[in-house]
Amino acid sequence: MQIDVQANRLPAAPLKVARGRRRGSLRSPNRRALRLGLLFVSPWIVGFLLFFAYPFFATIYYSFTDFNGVGAAHWIGFTNYVNLFHDPLFKTSLFNTFYYTAIELPLSTVAALGLALLLNMNMRGRAIYRTIFYIPSIVPLVASCMIFVWLFNPASGIVNDILIDAHLPSPDWFFSVAWSKPSFILLGLWGLGQPMVIYLAGLQGVPRDMYEVAALDGASAWKRLRYITIPMISPVILFNVILQLVLCISYFTQAQVIESSDIGGPGTSTWFYVQYLYEQAFEFLKLGYSSAMAFFLFVISAVIMVVLFRSSARWVYYANEQQ
Amino acid sequence: MKDQQGHESYAPGRMSRRRSRHPGWNRFNSKFAVTLAAVTIVGTIGLATAGGGTAGAASSTSSTPVVNLTWWTMWSGSTLQLLNTMVTQFNKTHPGIHVTETNIPSDATTSTAKLLSTIAAGDPPDIFTEWWPEIGSFAADGDLVNMNQYLTGQYAGLEKWEYPVAVQAGTYKGGLYAIPMSMNSWALYYNIPLLAEYGIKSPPKTLAQFDADQAKLWVVDNGRIVTMGFYPDTDGNGFQFYTTFFGATNCFNSAGKYDFENCSGAKAEMNWIASFSKYSYAQVMALQTDLGFVAGGQTDIWTNGKSGFELSGPWVGAQNVPVSNPDLEDHFGVEAFPGIVPKPSTLGQGNFNIIPKGAAHPAQAFEFISWLAGYKNESFVGSIDPKGGWVPAGPTVTKAPAYQTWLKQNSWLSGFLPQMSSPYTEAPTLTPTQAQLFAAENTATADVLQKIMTPEQALKYIDQQANASS
Repeated sequence: MQIDVQANRLPAAPLKVARGRRRGSLRSPNRRALRLGLLFVSPWIVGFLLFFAYPFFATIYYSFTDFNGVGAAHWIGFTNYVNLFHDPLFKTSLFNTFYYTAIELPLSTVAALGLALLLNMNMRGRAIYRTIFYIPSIVPLVASCMIFVWLFNPASGIVNDILIDAHLPSPDWFFSVAWSKPSFILLGLWGLGQPMVIYLAGLQGVPRDMYEVAALDGASAWKRLRYITIPMISPVILFNVILQLVLCISYFTQAQVIESSDIGGPGTSTWFYVQYLYEQAFEFLKLGYSSAMAFFLFVISAVIMVVLFRSSARWVYYANEQQ
Repeated sequence: MKDQQGHESYAPGRMSRRRSRHPGWNRFNSKFAVTLAAVTIVGTIGLATAGGGTAGAASSTSSTPVVNLTWWTMWSGSTLQLLNTMVTQFNKTHPGIHVTETNIPSDATTSTAKLLSTIAAGDPPDIFTEWWPEIGSFAADGDLVNMNQYLTGQYAGLEKWEYPVAVQAGTYKGGLYAIPMSMNSWALYYNIPLLAEYGIKSPPKTLAQFDADQAKLWVVDNGRIVTMGFYPDTDGNGFQFYTTFFGATNCFNSAGKYDFENCSGAKAEMNWIASFSKYSYAQVMALQTDLGFVAGGQTDIWTNGKSGFELSGPWVGAQNVPVSNPDLEDHFGVEAFPGIVPKPSTLGQGNFNIIPKGAAHPAQAFEFISWLAGYKNESFVGSIDPKGGWVPAGPTVTKAPAYQTWLKQNSWLSGFLPQMSSPYTEAPTLTPTQAQLFAAENTATADVLQKIMTPEQALKYIDQQANASS
């Protein structure tokens, strides 16, 4: 009791009363509703705990160990994190991933938005064009990789055939250190049907009367785009940018398909971060090291997301938000 | 209650009032929620314990007269058919054991991950076929059964029966962890008509002559290769495949660390690889892809008749040429590769069977593995190996009548067997970082050929990656 007084806490008896009051504050029918609600969402809660929360915290724990996937995990402190910064392939893979993200993200954003603007115009065969541009995004990734490698094959691909016939330089595309990353960026652009459709949906939600008023005021097409379209769909742009950013940072499938089949990506020129993480975990069985890589990637992604969300207050406009 | 827009809105207590008006619905709701939660929990527990359940079932079979073995392999196509033939024969001749072959259609990395998952879950297959890069790390981590314990009685002579290099490739710190069902032997294929076209009448005997001969065959038109002599990185063959020809297979310093940087053989080999950087890496890889070397395809530049030389194994002549380019049959030859080490030699590599830790029936698995290798089973394996184009794990298999017939019918095969017993043939010493070593050697090879790294930088890079411990 004395300790409680010194710590400036409430005595035990009133505390009990307070607890009793808190319990009583949720009336019986509401408590039942809460219980029922929790029971209904229990599959999601179980799934979240098992497949997200546990792996997430386990990854953080294992990143401080020498875990190999089977044996006991021994605590090694920050060794894995220190080793990361002495690992040349770690730096290479990080650079490649950021290079890809820095070019692919703005390019795909502008291209998808541009396409959506074009396909939002009134013209004949609009539905057909929309379908044509969307189809590549539903082609399985492995198939699209193989198609691209064949199309861009310097020895026999149709792209270089055309370039040679036109007396233009014919790059070595996926097989050249200089051109392999741009080739992957081209491959990424081929599948921009998904963000394009989301932009299209956003564009159709912009009220027509805004354009009519602006046109009456003599606003040019560029000004209508700059001052009406872009602000009105800015939440959609933010959404797409976040989606694309996550996809770029965790870029894996296409690079893995092309490199593991020995059909491109020479040397480490297209060795991406998640590929390296995968190799460390499942080829070299260094699950502790790869956990450190995974957590490092999480921190980088989280920082970028925070910056993005903070900056969004300046450029994202929500029509119904309180000013 | 409706809000101003006429939509139903939520207010505390409203649900309970409704509920009181519909007690049946209320009961159904509660029961449904409880059932949903129960199914989730039971399902989750069931999933979590599924591995253990299976393991228990497998264990319970050990008391029955027939022991069921599970064998994971990663082959498909004609090779898988051969394996099935072997399994059928084993099951027929071993009534107490029944083997079920399961094909794990994936690359080495994925199948390794799958194996690890089953070991961690306590329910691994009894036998797993592995290319050798991961055996060292598996053994070091205690993931494999040490087969020394079974080398008694009728199996006491097994290690002496095998080619020495086959034993070396499966041994980690004195323990036998892997036994090959077949070995790979590497030699130099050459295309006789193509060489003759460029005035080369006989295969090269020295490295200098080989370099000169292969250089004559390169023809590039408009940035595309028409014919080529040789390139050291086709078919995924990087630095490690040439190490025995240069005396660079096992380069360690006194502390037991990899030390290729200070290894004279490794320097000679990397400089030799760098001499090919005058040819376009991109053009060679593009041609290779164009001709079908995709995801383990059976055609390559040499088989298609576009290259004068290639380093490869007997399966190229036995399987690939008849299928992909029958015109080349009877028009090619095979020689031991002319490195700087006296011929013949080859890299000790093979298709190894291992017993994962926690396998339900390790003793029976060992019996099956040694049978597959051909130990006291020479006649049958000697009839299978020619169909796969395989070099056996032990020399006595080659004495089997069927194998002898195959050798006589294909004179070029004689280029593959002498090196298996050669004192210059070596296997890389198994270490926990074997996989890192090979990955680094492949990267270094490609980077040297593209002039991204100098030979010195490449060797330093290999050491750095292969000595990474954590």
